[in-house]
Amino acid sequence: MICSLNKISRILIAAKTTILLCLSVVFFFAPLVQEVSAQRSFSKTYPATKNVRLQLLNRSGTVTVEGWDRQEINISAYLEAPAANIVPQSLSGTILIDLVKDNQGRNGIGNVNFRIRVPRMANVDIETRIGNLSVTNVSGGLVRAFITTEGDITLTNITAGAVDAQNGIGDIFFDGEMRGGGQYRFTSMRGNINLRIPFESSFRLVATAPSTRNISLGSFASSEMSFVGDGRRVAGRFGSGSSSLTVTNQRGSIAFIRR
Amino acid sequence: MTCDECQENISRFLDNELDETSSMSVQTHISLCAECAKICEDFAVILDSCNGGKPSELLPPNSQALWCRINNIIESEAKREPVAPEPPKRWFGRSFTLSQVGSAVLGIAVISSLLTIVGIKNYYEPTAEDYTSRSNASQTTFEKVLSKVGLTDTPQQARMRRLQEQQAAIDYWNKRVQARREQWDNNMRDAFDRNLREFDQAVEEYTLILQQDPQDDLSGEMLDSALNEKMNLLRAFSEL
Repeated sequence: MICSLNKISRILIAAKTTILLCLSVVFFFAPLVQEVSAQRSFSKTYPATKNVRLQLLNRSGTVTVEGWDRQEINISAYLEAPAANIVPQSLSGTILIDLVKDNQGRNGIGNVNFRIRVPRMANVDIETRIGNLSVTNVSGGLVRAFITTEGDITLTNITAGAVDAQNGIGDIFFDGEMRGGGQYRFTSMRGNINLRIPFESSFRLVATAPSTRNISLGSFASSEMSFVGDGRRVAGRFGSGSSSLTVTNQRGSIAFIRR
Repeated sequence: MTCDECQENISRFLDNELDETSSMSVQTHISLCAECAKICEDFAVILDSCNGGKPSELLPPNSQALWCRINNIIESEAKREPVAPEPPKRWFGRSFTLSQVGSAVLGIAVISSLLTIVGIKNYYEPTAEDYTSRSNASQTTFEKVLSKVGLTDTPQQARMRRLQEQQAAIDYWNKRVQARREQWDNNMRDAFDRNLREFDQAVEEYTLILQQDPQDDLSGEMLDSALNEKMNLLRAFSEL
């Protein structure tokens, strides 16, 4: 009798331990499960006209734009909870996504991380309040990347006719070619601006770093470039000076790298 | 953009007929200029009332009878006052012959044409950047003369005026941001504050340099740029 009681109590203890183990496993993985279910995704593809323009205004999150060889625009977005509303519009050759307007009056919206693929000749105009922006393989008329506050801007393999990149706190990296007659502007409040361009480039330069006076021309230093304002600005011409290049970094450095 | 250009474009701006760049320029100018903002507001009210009102509300009751009465009054007043023949005009107390008047007009035309040609050669319309980036050295002779006479501002005066305008706009957007910021999440609020501090430090730095050396045009230009960016930051966050 005593033997069977002992057996029952041992079985009870084993059952208790098993239940506790199972519960601990469930509680350990619960946040991960919640995280996965909290992230929503969005995907849509639009046919693109020859000079299609992508215009995107994000609130927070990263935006990656890649040029591809198809005549269509593919938008993929990963929305963190609480998920934002996305209502893309296709208006006479422009794909417009305005998350600020679409979510006006809503509080505490999660990040929206975009991956957008566009035809190589597309015009790209992307803006976010916070987050990194990246554009690759685009050769259209315009590439504009604007971050209102914090985030890095990375523009690689760009041959656009006009490039305008601006951020508050963060780095700007441009790796591309400059077209004759093009306009190129890079502006930052604090961070490093690095421009990697071919030695055959031709531009009129105004580069200003008033606080650090850290302007490194590298291979592009020439007798036609001169430091003005106690070294706070470099102005001059490289090559025939066919395009215009303006670089301003209020509290950071500027560097030119030969491609 | 000048006030005249803005006022010329206001009607088309309200009708959404301007291209994106012009529309942005008008919007920016209105945010900076109280006078143009008032004109824009008046236009908008007139447009609203025209669009919203029924045609019957715009006509007075029995309008035909009203027109008859107005016609009668005009006719009776026209009969009462016979038109007296005007005496020949005399200038400066004496009469001139036609040839004298003609040669005087011709002389004035030649002189004003010469002045205009000289003026155009020496002058071009200054942009907003010029107000802050141009130095005394880069002023044309014509501009120097005008500023000495007091007809235009010197670059320093123009800079001060622009700074005041920018500060007014910053105060306006700042009030709107303060009303909205409680609704942002912590990340957004922290990022905004960090960036605003950065702008404020830059503004403080350039203001200090300009107090020591008002002729430092590069600092003037950078101050203008920092204030513009601060204004854009506030405007962007006031929409969130």
